[in-house]
Amino acid sequence: MASIDIQNVKKAYGHVQVLHDIDLKIKDGEFVVLVGPSGCGKSTLLRMIAGLEGVTAGEMRIDGKRVNELHPKDRDIAMVFQSYALYPHMNVAANMSYSLKLRKAAKEKITAAVAGAASKLGLEALLDRRPRALSGGQRQRVAMGRAIVRQPKAFLFDEPLSNLDARLREQMRAEIKKMHGELKATSIYVTHDQIEAMTLADRIVAMHGGVVQQVGAPLELYDRPANMFVAGFIGSPGMNFLEATYAGGSVTLADRTVVTLPGALALDDGAKVTVGIRPEHVVLAAEGEGMAATVDLVEPTGFGIILHLSLHGLAFKVFTTDRAALSAGPTVHVAFPSTQIHVFDSSGVRANPLAPQA
Amino acid sequence: MSMTADAHARRQDRRPWQKRLADASEPYLYSAPALILIIVVMLVPLVVGISYAFRDIQLLNPFSGGFIGLEHFETLSKDKAFYTALKNTLWWTGASVFLQFVFGLILALLLDKPFMGRGIVQALVFLPWAVPSFLGGLNWAWLFNPVIGPLPHWLYGLGLMSQPGNILSDPQYAMWGPIIANVWWGIPFFAITLLAALQSIPRDLYEAASIDGASWFQRFWSITLPFLAPTIAITVLLRTVWVSNFADLIVVMTGGGPADRTQIVASYIFTQAFKALDFGYASAIALVLLVLLLAYSLLIILLRQTLLNKG
Repeated sequence: MASIDIQNVKKAYGHVQVLHDIDLKIKDGEFVVLVGPSGCGKSTLLRMIAGLEGVTAGEMRIDGKRVNELHPKDRDIAMVFQSYALYPHMNVAANMSYSLKLRKAAKEKITAAVAGAASKLGLEALLDRRPRALSGGQRQRVAMGRAIVRQPKAFLFDEPLSNLDARLREQMRAEIKKMHGELKATSIYVTHDQIEAMTLADRIVAMHGGVVQQVGAPLELYDRPANMFVAGFIGSPGMNFLEATYAGGSVTLADRTVVTLPGALALDDGAKVTVGIRPEHVVLAAEGEGMAATVDLVEPTGFGIILHLSLHGLAFKVFTTDRAALSAGPTVHVAFPSTQIHVFDSSGVRANPLAPQA
Repeated sequence: MSMTADAHARRQDRRPWQKRLADASEPYLYSAPALILIIVVMLVPLVVGISYAFRDIQLLNPFSGGFIGLEHFETLSKDKAFYTALKNTLWWTGASVFLQFVFGLILALLLDKPFMGRGIVQALVFLPWAVPSFLGGLNWAWLFNPVIGPLPHWLYGLGLMSQPGNILSDPQYAMWGPIIANVWWGIPFFAITLLAALQSIPRDLYEAASIDGASWFQRFWSITLPFLAPTIAITVLLRTVWVSNFADLIVVMTGGGPADRTQIVASYIFTQAFKALDFGYASAIALVLLVLLLAYSLLIILLRQTLLNKG
């Protein structure tokens, strides 16, 4: 196991810079998830850690040792690919033992390691099958097995669950988490699925446009997003944003509704701000209270109901577990609890305190 | 019971007999053009050619043409020149195919890497394949000729030859002339097919292998080769059959000489047919070559089948 230290790392393809000054310290045994939309540079960063892509500038250290120029085969890390990248002409056992064979490990040691990984992943019965005779979920397990037999310094996961169906994804997610609990291996996991990020991570690194937007524990990103990108990306359905004006500890929305905030913010009076509120924090109020909104669409999910509303002509979502919302009329009334309101300044940066409020 | 059924069927079938005939012959009429073409262009010449092997057909003898049974084959079994040609065929085919394959594979591996101007280089590399074999043979014959070609002088300059002579007239090395020409001519075939196979290998397998700790050679051995194996098997089989049948270069460059040193079975057939004008004997040799190549192909197919079943 090892720590991974990324210092001022940049990546450019010709004149196109895809990663800007990435700074990240990953502690020994930590599970870090890189999350962001397609093209945010998360996979590139992972491949740079693996050594599959060169580092344009900055320094990459594994266990304190500079690895910028080190070939992937000498970095002692394991990677699980989105396509699994299993060797098609080798059976499951050979796939899992390939790395140990290359390291000239003793035969008994290889057999023991493969048997151990197979029993951990429930692959014992499949050891002499070829990858093409396996289902997607089984291939995924073999790819994981190939990584764990080696006991590498770190595990890298490149969207490993994207090719699985929803149920299997949920199941494998839980297994990965359980496995990390047992192995305590340093892991870096790339995904665009914020649920995977939230459930798996010790720390989430949210990326956008080649820049790290926020690093923190999952609930920290959920409760106190550092900017509008993180606020909108984490959480499903996504956060609602409304234009407002700040003045003396309260915000005024477009319809002149005034919401008093729990504390004063470091903003000038009259500053244009964006107010964010998560659909699950919006309260459906009785008639005469809150703001009136028209109902566009009602989506029951089973667990709850998503209401798509028009609020002052803007799309607005509400999530509630109250079944009564199913029969919501053409107009509903919504209210915002002041403690659940996020305020972002005109450049999209969080204006509420970043530290938890006592 | 069947009587009544028949009668019943007859009563049912009220179509006029022309219509019934047309319906019955319909599938045969549809397939007839293709079948007739295949029979005329493939089967008839084959059968006629095979029949020549059992007849005395000499162009210069107006009284020839009669059936002589296995006489040609008896002569053939005692024909020293035929055995030399058989041995030369093995040598010619083995060396040509092996060298074409090795250089073709190296070329394909080089062309698989991205570099500036790869498209142009790929196109240029495949040029020899487009050169008519006759022209290629003449070209190489001239290159080896000390009067007009540079090669003997270069070999002499390197100290590989005691004097700038023509290797095509040297009984010891004459075979190397057509082999070199054949290798030059045949490399593109292997390069094209192997390059196509190489480009179908998923890149992430190489990435997974290098993360697993594999060096360049280990990746080549455990990923590239297994992926190429089926292509290699089929191209080597094809080329072996083609090259052993391929007399153009030898006929153009050495004519089988000096003293039959470069005579392969295919060029021996050519010599017998078009120089000695003994078509009957030439057909007999061709029949033997056909049987040998059929046996070889069958062997390779069986080998491939067992390998596939094992895998």
